[in-house]
Amino acid sequence: MRDLLLARPPWFLAGPLLGLCVVALFATINERLGVLGGFSDVVERLSARSLRLGWKGCFLLGLVAGAAVFTVLSGGGRLGSGYGWLTREFSGGTTAALLVASGALVGYGAKTAGGCTSGNGLSGNAIGSRASFAATATFFGTAVAATFVTKLLFGAGV
Amino acid sequence: MRAAAAAVGLVFGFTLAWSGMSDPDVIRRGLLFEDLYLFGLFLSALVTAGAGVHLLRRAGARALVTGERIGWETLRPERRHIVGSVLFGLGWSISAACPGPIAAQLGGGLLWSVPTIAGVALGIKLYIVRGRTAARVPAELPVPVT
Repeated sequence: MRDLLLARPPWFLAGPLLGLCVVALFATINERLGVLGGFSDVVERLSARSLRLGWKGCFLLGLVAGAAVFTVLSGGGRLGSGYGWLTREFSGGTTAALLVASGALVGYGAKTAGGCTSGNGLSGNAIGSRASFAATATFFGTAVAATFVTKLLFGAGV
Repeated sequence: MRAAAAAVGLVFGFTLAWSGMSDPDVIRRGLLFEDLYLFGLFLSALVTAGAGVHLLRRAGARALVTGERIGWETLRPERRHIVGSVLFGLGWSISAACPGPIAAQLGGGLLWSVPTIAGVALGIKLYIVRGRTAARVPAELPVPVT
């Protein structure tokens, strides 16, 4: 069991599983799966001094729990203690500051665009939304370009 | 509704963690085209989701929990979809994580997810506050007398 989980599943198994989650949410509650919506739900409820989450917040809690279940079953998962290219290039304090700043871009940007990689990239495109096509092409293009730029600026990076 | 959403979230989070999406190196190698796993995963997820939801709609199926007929409305692209996605893409590139993987990092016990989540919450809060301010401005402007 542990060995099976520690090896990365082939993309043609894991991808359809993620896709089926989008289908399952339509099949049960006729809603679009989106993780940013979950974060937004939590922020809005906490701002209103309430802990009564809507379905989006519950989806997010389920997601965190699912990752925790994987980590326990696989005996700790595959994540190390560092944080990829950031901790290799920068000090801990700089990494934390960059993560707060990039997290803010993710939150503000995805709210503005009406979805993130899951809300626009998966669900929005699956239902054929042209707004989601435009959003997905833009965020993939921007992310690829920006990553090549940081690779040029900081050398090996990866 | 909430139980159904939590159950789907459980499978989604498990799969994200299992497929290595919570590892920033996997995302960064994907965005540099050094490892095409990210694209294989994304495209096969999209094809599955697209086929599945269209089959449900064509069959005239009703949602199991809410009983509504399965369907949706789509939007035309607007400026906000582009501007927002440029900002989102920049944040995704630097953190090498988007909302799903960020939440999966937390579930995986990666403490570096804490500053990222604080940033995401800050960004969402900023968007909400800015929206409120923008909505209030017209009411505060003097009404032009003609």
